[in-house]
Amino acid sequence: MAQHTLEVLVENSPGVLARVAGLFSRRAYNIERLTVGPTANPEVSQMDIVVSVEGHALEQVIAQLDKLINVIAIKEIKPESAPEVHDTQPDYQN
Amino acid sequence: MSQVTGAQSLVNSLEAAGVDVMFGIPGGAILPAYDPIFDSKIRHVLVRHEQGAGHAATGYAQVTGRVGVCIATSGPGATNLVTPLADAAMDSVPMVAITGQVPSLAIGTDAFQEADIRGITMPFAKHNYLITDPADIPRAIAEAFHIASTGRPGPVLVDIAKDALQKMTDFNYPTSVNLKGYQPKLAPNAQAIADAAELITQSSKPVFYVGGGVIKADAHRELLEIANLLGAPVVTTLMARGAFPDSHPLHLGMPGMHGTVAAVTGLQKADLLITLGARFDDRVTGKLSTFATNAKVIHCDIDPAEIHKNRFADVAVIGDVKHTLQALIPALKAALKKNQPDLSPWLRQMNSLKSSYPLGYDQPSDGSLSPQYVIERLGKISGPDTIFTSGVGQHQMWAAQFINYENPRTWLNSGGLGTMGYAVPAAMGAKVGAPDTTVWAIDGDGCFQMTNQELVTCALNNIPVKIAIINNESLGMVRQWQTLFYEGRYSNTSLESKRVPNFPMLAEAMGCVGLSCERPEDVDATIEKAMSINDQPVVVDFRVHRDAMVWPMVAAGTSNDDIMIARETAPDWDSQEL
Ligand SMILES: Cc1ncc(C[n+]2csc(CCOP(=O)(O)OP(=O)(O)O)c2C)c(N)n1
Repeated sequence: MAQHTLEVLVENSPGVLARVAGLFSRRAYNIERLTVGPTANPEVSQMDIVVSVEGHALEQVIAQLDKLINVIAIKEIKPESAPEVHDTQPDYQN
Repeated sequence: MSQVTGAQSLVNSLEAAGVDVMFGIPGGAILPAYDPIFDSKIRHVLVRHEQGAGHAATGYAQVTGRVGVCIATSGPGATNLVTPLADAAMDSVPMVAITGQVPSLAIGTDAFQEADIRGITMPFAKHNYLITDPADIPRAIAEAFHIASTGRPGPVLVDIAKDALQKMTDFNYPTSVNLKGYQPKLAPNAQAIADAAELITQSSKPVFYVGGGVIKADAHRELLEIANLLGAPVVTTLMARGAFPDSHPLHLGMPGMHGTVAAVTGLQKADLLITLGARFDDRVTGKLSTFATNAKVIHCDIDPAEIHKNRFADVAVIGDVKHTLQALIPALKAALKKNQPDLSPWLRQMNSLKSSYPLGYDQPSDGSLSPQYVIERLGKISGPDTIFTSGVGQHQMWAAQFINYENPRTWLNSGGLGTMGYAVPAAMGAKVGAPDTTVWAIDGDGCFQMTNQELVTCALNNIPVKIAIINNESLGMVRQWQTLFYEGRYSNTSLESKRVPNFPMLAEAMGCVGLSCERPEDVDATIEKAMSINDQPVVVDFRVHRDAMVWPMVAAGTSNDDIMIARETAPDWDSQEL
């Protein structure tokens, strides 16, 4: 399975790590690595998540993450190209 | 500004959110809130079990379109709400649950009646809060109502530590809610609408696959308009019964495991599914890899995560389905002017299936009462304005099949979670939300024994619901599976409920009128008797034949192509041109 890196901006609210981790476990997505760190804005943290999924499943992971109210924005970090931005407005339809 | 307690701030916030009724039970941690509730204009219905409060909130929400509210104490009070919260999540019902929590300093110490209800509900609640600072109460309540009622509706839990209810605070209800990570998109993308219209005109075998989202979005008028415009057949899922009139000639009925042959086959043979607020649930698709293999899919849904989840969508239209249809109707009108497909051969095929395989049932040869007949008569006598709720099992499927639904918000059931015990408390909430409408709960003898204590609540609070127990003295749906798949080995499905309990006596003990009926010739008179009593809840024990089965059936995990209309009997496909 291909590995994908997601850069996820989350509200720095209590329980947010449990929400993200819980989502991955409940939907049976594989997390390879997860790190959490601060950003310049004290109200926002950044999670870097490496997931192993195939094809459309990545879109599902992103869409489900997006549904978490505390998730503000999701970027997929592509190895050798510019990052693809997925903000919480689902403009990736079609 | 004068200071108020956190509890007063909570009640002020609920009033500001427009709450007119809530269902609940007090206890230690939530007790501070019950003091200002005593003086509030909000009606509080004191239930007998928190599960009843939760399903009542759901029933209220389903008939009114407003947010249903329930309230409970910490620990066991909160955990008793878990089932209705999960139920509301699966069926996308707007609901706010308020729970008390142990004092903030005691959190994490395994204090008396401590349960991490926020953690417990995280996997399914649309969102939840743990409030330890009274200043946060108004914002949390405003956000909870906003989140519950917008986008794809769902349950939100607000857990409040006891000391936050007791401390003094300023009450400031926010005038607007702005959540960085939550901005549901209502208006559909213009290109997606154009693509959808184009795809529709290219189809010669389209079907409108209608789910509960159409009812949630109040889009039934738009659905009627677009169905008439295109002249294509319509199927309504278990959650969408009533979204499109059953009397309409384009209606093929309900699809799915116990759907009509026409609806199931219509989806299977379609070349285009115009999917409106539906989610390709396994109970509709059967074995997914064999579902509607020749169909392209237009998927209209407010939840982007539903797109491509179970089935790839050729055109995805993300938005509120009412807005979507309002945009699609003119686009389709214009597209049809250029290219009007001929749907008449397709309609002929569907009508042939509809007339060859209507829903039906056999009358028991021993003259005993058939459950389908009882349910059919309830629908006929009570009429299309009645609200029906049901439990889960055979009676639920028969109520979905043999009652004609003409109006949205008249059929309430637990579709996604399949919660036995839903019918009575949901009927209670429905009747509170629509006091001038007749509310019938069609319940199983098994389901009824899970939550019937709420009839006490109904009797004492002037909530005159009517309950039809379809008493087949067994866990009928499970028994049906044992008949079909376990060689008739009836392990633990006999309830003996024609012996014990005595349902009419139980009803009388709870302050209701108890009636009983076991002969076909008494059914109409019994229903009319129940209909004539409007100052008390009524419970009718319909003592029915226990071997009746639900047909048609697509066995779990098999293909919709293998639909059976009776035991070991497939439709006669050779006689149909498909
Ligand atoms: C809370 C809960 N427990 C168990 C089940 C599994 N189950 C599904 S239908 C059913 C039988 C329901 O029996 P009854 O209420 O008598 O209805 P009938 O099928 O006989 O109409 C059972 C046990 C369930 N859906 N919900």
